[in-house]
Amino acid sequence: MRLESILDLGKKKVAAATDELGFALAGVKDPAAYSAANFSASYGATQDVKFAKGTTTLAFKFDGGVIVSVDSRSTMGNYIASQTVKKVIEINPFLLGTMAGGAADCSFWERNLGTQCRMYELRNKKRVSVAAASKMLANTMYRYRGRGLSMGTMICGWDASGPKLYYVDDDGTRLEGDVFCVGSGSTYAYGVIDSHLRRDLTVDEAVDLGRRAIAGAAHRDAMSGGWNNLYHVTEDGWRFLGQSGR
Amino acid sequence: MSILEHNGAAIIAMAGKNCVAIGADTRFGLRMQTVATDFEKVFKMSNNVFVGLAGLATDVQTLRNLLKFRLSLYALREERDMKPEAFAALLSHLLYEKRFGPYFIEPLVAGLKDGDQPFLCGMDLIGAPVYTNDFVVSGTCTPNMNGMCESLWRPDMTPDDLFEAVSQCLLASVDRDAMSGWGAVVHVITPDGVTSKRLKGRMD
Amino acid sequence: METTIGLVGKGFAIVAADRSAARSIVVFKQDEDKVLVLDKFKLLGSAGVAADSVAFTEYVQKNMALYEINSGLALSTRAASNFIRGELATALRRGPYQTNLLLGGYDAGDGASLYYIDYLASCNKVNFGCHGYASNFVLSILDREWKDGLTEEEGIEIIRKCIAELQVRFLVSLPKFTIKIVDHNGTRDLPQPVLAAA
Repeated sequence: MRLESILDLGKKKVAAATDELGFALAGVKDPAAYSAANFSASYGATQDVKFAKGTTTLAFKFDGGVIVSVDSRSTMGNYIASQTVKKVIEINPFLLGTMAGGAADCSFWERNLGTQCRMYELRNKKRVSVAAASKMLANTMYRYRGRGLSMGTMICGWDASGPKLYYVDDDGTRLEGDVFCVGSGSTYAYGVIDSHLRRDLTVDEAVDLGRRAIAGAAHRDAMSGGWNNLYHVTEDGWRFLGQSGR
Repeated sequence: MSILEHNGAAIIAMAGKNCVAIGADTRFGLRMQTVATDFEKVFKMSNNVFVGLAGLATDVQTLRNLLKFRLSLYALREERDMKPEAFAALLSHLLYEKRFGPYFIEPLVAGLKDGDQPFLCGMDLIGAPVYTNDFVVSGTCTPNMNGMCESLWRPDMTPDDLFEAVSQCLLASVDRDAMSGWGAVVHVITPDGVTSKRLKGRMD
Repeated sequence: METTIGLVGKGFAIVAADRSAARSIVVFKQDEDKVLVLDKFKLLGSAGVAADSVAFTEYVQKNMALYEINSGLALSTRAASNFIRGELATALRRGPYQTNLLLGGYDAGDGASLYYIDYLASCNKVNFGCHGYASNFVLSILDREWKDGLTEEEGIEIIRKCIAELQVRFLVSLPKFTIKIVDHNGTRDLPQPVLAAA
């Protein structure tokens, strides 16, 4: 019966409804509410489809630039789906984005941001500022509000005005700041960062603080763990400092 | 999420040749928050019977106290240790007594019967027993543990091989479970005595 | 909201708790004492529904006093933790007390100890612990700062760091804390630490 109705649908060649970016929409009265209820990454007890999530990510500014430090665990319910997820997305040589929330949502929309940033460069013959890049992502998120997207990201970089750090999330919030921790283990990371962060930290001290904050969160938060990926952003762009085990 | 998964646990019991082993992780958590990493879930009930209690931590402790009490009375009255078969029956009855307000525990019993034959038994939270000859698992990552045991268990393992098999099964399983791990203990029961070892595991 | 933090040092245990009494969106008072002195060598910090916390901790205090009068013996900290766990576990199946506890004590032979007991009556002996939403912020600080054989000054400094973090990051305002210590001299109050202005 069900199969037949699906085949019928094929024969009738129902034009699938799509939104302005070409995403097919669910054939129900309220597609936004439907996907928020069934395909959200922040699933409650009622949702059957579970996506990969669970994270600790952090970034902070100091005199030597920006440190970005993240874990690498992905969980689906209690199951650890992966310990080797790359949660820092290299948008371009001067811009990094971090991943918390839905893995697919973050990687898709930050890749999309990369395209938008490249288009900006080609049109304007200059590098995009971190403020503008983060605003583009925030605008995208704002457009898809209420559809159940899940994304908590930090856009980090260095532009004409110096080191910059922005927090952007799925409901369109965009905040500029000196320290952000995002994800299920963020509170533990804040505990470590807040009691030891100073502007005049040396690069080595700052890297060590970033590493310790992730280690602390990974220890206490069941949904965080795996490896620690570290990046350092300076005026020459970002540099990957490597992956450290625990 | 089930109340059985509130605190997190992973327990494996396995049979060898004239020996059995039982191992458990040591995490005590409140859902996603790890609170302690030295929580006991496996208890020595007599010289040749061990019980592993996976489930709600408060009931692990309540049931441990209750079992210890009942076994002490038995030892006083009978002047002998309880056999594993009898212990499993006692535990099953204790659980079913609370049929309409159960202890949130899925226990494992591992012991040596008369003639040093391995005894393994698992139960659901209201005492339905399952007897096995090879291995039995309980906790928050049973698919992982069953898979590991299926591939590493061999018939007639020596105590040393059995220890290795249980340890590898346990550590590999909890590394893919968010709710258990943070260290482990393994007890190997042989006719000559019990050896207990602590395993270091990933602390994330 | 309700917060209690504790740690063990060399020959002492500290138990701290916030001083707010609130319900719904109203704060009634800011000088409630949630760290009960159980006897000369025991402190019981509670975090949970105010009525349950008071009812249960006072019940424990009075029954331990009664036991001491009847038997002439005071419970050790370990024995007290088992008594408290047992009472809480019995109550659990007939309408639980919604109270999370930290029991700090000093015993002549064994030194200082701290027990973490939640409202479900799970009991753990710990070196440090924290109940409530605050635990999300505070545990990583304790993980990093706590070490074996802390001096009293070091212990107080760690508690100060924890409170300072809560006042920076925690949404709910917790302006005042009770901090009590127990050592071989018995229990005593400590002054609220001076926090640098945020």
